[in-house]
Amino acid sequence: MPDFNTSGWSPPDINLSRRTIALIAIGGVVVVTLFTMVFQIPADSIGVVMRFGEPVREVGPGLHVKAPVGVEEVRIVPTQRQRKVEFGYRTQSAAVDSSYKREGYEHESLMLTGDLNVVDVQWAVQYRIEDAQRYLFEVRDVRETFRYMSQAVMREVVGDRTVSEVLTVGRAEVADTVKKSLSELCDDYDIGLRVEQVNLQDITPPDPVKPSFNEVNEAQQEKSELINQAKAAYNKAIPAAKGEGKRKVEQAEGYAVQRVNRAQGEAARFNSLYEAYRKAPEVTRRRIYIETLSEVLPKVDRKIVIDEGASDVVPLLPLGDMRGMPSPNSNGGSK
Amino acid sequence: MKRTVGIITLFVIALLVAVGAGATYVVDETEQVVITQFGDPVGEPISEPGLKFKIPFIQTVHRFDQRFLEWNGDANEVPTKDKRFIEVDTYARWRITDPLVFYQRLRNESGAQSRLDDIIDGATRDAVASHELLELVRASNREPVVETDIPEEDSSPDLEKIETGRPSIMSSIEDEARRQTEDLGIQVLDVRFKRINYNDQVRKKVYDRMIAERERIAERYRSEGRGEAAEIEGTKERELDRVLSEAERKAEEIRGKADAKATDIYAEAYNRDPEFFEFLRTTESYPEALKGKSWLLMSTGGDFMKYLRDSTPEQ
Repeated sequence: MPDFNTSGWSPPDINLSRRTIALIAIGGVVVVTLFTMVFQIPADSIGVVMRFGEPVREVGPGLHVKAPVGVEEVRIVPTQRQRKVEFGYRTQSAAVDSSYKREGYEHESLMLTGDLNVVDVQWAVQYRIEDAQRYLFEVRDVRETFRYMSQAVMREVVGDRTVSEVLTVGRAEVADTVKKSLSELCDDYDIGLRVEQVNLQDITPPDPVKPSFNEVNEAQQEKSELINQAKAAYNKAIPAAKGEGKRKVEQAEGYAVQRVNRAQGEAARFNSLYEAYRKAPEVTRRRIYIETLSEVLPKVDRKIVIDEGASDVVPLLPLGDMRGMPSPNSNGGSK
Repeated sequence: MKRTVGIITLFVIALLVAVGAGATYVVDETEQVVITQFGDPVGEPISEPGLKFKIPFIQTVHRFDQRFLEWNGDANEVPTKDKRFIEVDTYARWRITDPLVFYQRLRNESGAQSRLDDIIDGATRDAVASHELLELVRASNREPVVETDIPEEDSSPDLEKIETGRPSIMSSIEDEARRQTEDLGIQVLDVRFKRINYNDQVRKKVYDRMIAERERIAERYRSEGRGEAAEIEGTKERELDRVLSEAERKAEEIRGKADAKATDIYAEAYNRDPEFFEFLRTTESYPEALKGKSWLLMSTGGDFMKYLRDSTPEQ
């Protein structure tokens, strides 16, 4: 509270009667006293009025009157204002495009997990003063105490979880549990604060370890890629092979039909021929023989007819020309 | 004369104000006070707030905080029972329960803080040294939640079981600190680990271990991928072989049946006169066999050319 009584006010250097000076002095004291009897409480706060150090009443926002300074004093507590404490980072400038500073706060953010790994947890706690009197009278240095409490609780909660849990599935659960435990601790400490929200900003592996965590993600993707590629190859090859197989079967079917048809045709021809042959076997045989020869002879390149008497004809043949030819032992007709 | 009276009046007023000021004092809600008379405490300590009176000049007011006070330890490097060096940072809350004793033993708060430094640091060291790191870090034997879409994250899916946990170690430190401070007029209400961390060298090693562990997991994913791909590849090849060989078998069966049928048909027909069949089939094959650059040597003794030699019919 500003104390107007002690402001260095000296009487002006003019010739006035003693009486006037006394009046001015008394008037000044009265004005200053009246001034200290009126006070204002901002909209987000309440005032606790203390009479000789003892809290006597609470007043809400607005203009109020109290006993003059020395008797009553007022302590203003912003009970409606939401406050925030940050751990592992600090907001540099809060705007639409906020900027944060993370360096230098590793001692706050690095902590041990239940499987003795290290994670980097950045979080913020939003709180409000719930009980102005407790806030004022139960705990000294509330803010610092609250920082200690938050850190102790967060570390206890993270210390009971695995690193994968904290980094992935357990995130929301960690925030919930911290909020719950911290609220309990606030009640326990009579600190007069209420925890409104626990926000986990970033939970990451410590910087030196980050690349290998990313590598795990990459490996996971690599795995599914390999599997997908193999499946694709499978899906490409098998239907093609099935088609190929069907083609082979179809070909065989075609062959079968052709083979049987041909056999039937040839058998039918033979049968017909045979029927005719049986009627005149001798003549038919000769006819076929002659027909065959007359069909063969025009197609043969060179023909030699020798007399029955000429016994040794082979030496006469121009063997040089015959090289590469099938052996010349084909005699004139089998019959 | 008038001047002297004025000076005396002023002096008296000043004296009255001084005596009045010396005879009253205010105790705040947050305070408790001890009154001493020439250094000797008088009466009971006062913790009720309000306007109080005392004998001016002779009695002195000593004010002490009545609220919970904070104590913040320095980060200590302490080895655990399993010989790991960790930094332990603790905080505590305490309050002055007996201001008179407090005044006699510790004089003021900074005296108390330095006593608490000794007591809590000592108790913390003892507690840390007689417990394993795991017990200091963990609070319970809860079951960790495991990611469901990645079934076997074998990086240590289970948390090792612990006998005692962080809360009971903290309360044992608290008990010890409370025991050692009970005759100092103060009460320690809560000792907690604010931070437990590896020291720098150990941290480096832990990072190496974490990296190795992650690499192992990554490698496992890769080899799982390769393994499953190879399995699919194998299935593919087996399937290919099966499909094609089945088709071939079927085709051969069909061909065989057809061949057999054709053979039956031929046999049935040709069996009627095997000799005629042979004659027919052989003569039919001559035109094909003898075409092109063949030499045909024919004797007039043969059937076909015999009329070149002699036109008379044979006997």
